[in-house]
Amino acid sequence: MAGGIIQQLLRKKLQGQSFVLSSLFSKKGYDGAGSTQAKSLRAIALLGAGVSGFLSFGTIASADEAEHGLACPNYPWPHEGILSSYDHASIRRGHQVYQQVCASCHSMSLISYRDLVGVAYTEDEVKAMAAEIEVVDGPNDEGEMFTRPGKLSDQFPQPYANEQAARFANGGAYPPDLSLITKARHNGQNYVFALLTGYRDPPAGVTIREGLHYNPYFPGGAIAMPKMLNDGAVEYEDGTPATEAQMGKDVVSFLSWAAEPEMEERKLMGFKWIFLLSLALLQAGYFRRLRWSVLKSRKLVVDVVN
Amino acid sequence: MVVYTSLTYLCVIYLTQYRADEEPVDQKKYLEDLCKPKCVKPLREYQACVKRIQGDESGHKHCTGQYFDYWTCVDKCVSIPLSQNGSI
Repeated sequence: MAGGIIQQLLRKKLQGQSFVLSSLFSKKGYDGAGSTQAKSLRAIALLGAGVSGFLSFGTIASADEAEHGLACPNYPWPHEGILSSYDHASIRRGHQVYQQVCASCHSMSLISYRDLVGVAYTEDEVKAMAAEIEVVDGPNDEGEMFTRPGKLSDQFPQPYANEQAARFANGGAYPPDLSLITKARHNGQNYVFALLTGYRDPPAGVTIREGLHYNPYFPGGAIAMPKMLNDGAVEYEDGTPATEAQMGKDVVSFLSWAAEPEMEERKLMGFKWIFLLSLALLQAGYFRRLRWSVLKSRKLVVDVVN
Repeated sequence: MVVYTSLTYLCVIYLTQYRADEEPVDQKKYLEDLCKPKCVKPLREYQACVKRIQGDESGHKHCTGQYFDYWTCVDKCVSIPLSQNGSI
């Protein structure tokens, strides 16, 4: 609607400008030397059209605010730098938060217990953790499926048998698998932290239906997941006070590790090879200029006799 | 400005070493409360919008824009002292 009005204004403005141009021409008379003046007038007209067009675009775009969700700020993660590793104590705490708070609805089917060894827990600790779950295995020699305690090689247990069961238990919404979530969302780490800690009262005029909750960072604003991180929800093994922000930070560290377990090795490799290849580039540059120096220092003599 | 940020730095450090018998304060909420006075202008805009749409029966009017502007200001302010402390 606003765009239509501005389009009309634009047309009128252009007509007005062309009228001014034609009047100027009739007054001064057209000649070749006067074309620079005409060019600058044309440039001004185009600039005016461009500005009006840009402004109309601005008014249309603002209607999509809630659709895209509130932009999340960039937090300074400890593993952000070019040579920074994960905070492994934070990964351990984050795994504890996942297990106690998130695992009842969210699966992490791409992570196995053995992946945790050496990252957040010792092998014995992980073996004990895995043994607490029951896994369906088989068929045995009699052709029957059986259950056994978990092993290191088993994946994290799934809370629901399939997507339909998950949707049915959560009012039609599917709690996504979290194995790759920080890579699967734009600006994933900051987004997940902002989402988990960003449950607020909706703005005036916005009502959320029964069963959904308001979260400004979620595209559209109405998310099916209730606020899960509350102060003291988890008691950390290492005694860190479990505030909402602390749990959010730890669980995002854990999810970042889960999505990118190779990050530390990748950064080391990247730093090493970029350094070595830069040296190689310098060497190659020197060698190229050495070989080409013969041709580049040629002299050509034009010896013409008329 | 420098004094303000170093003050928040000290406060955050103090908070992370709370006494055992005290309730731990959520760091993000604390920083958001500190940042509210810095974002008074968008807050006033939001409150003006709330007043404007108070009598609305149609259900189409809402203050999402002003709400987003306010929270963008607060979020930006919260992430600044965190960046200066080194990490969250």
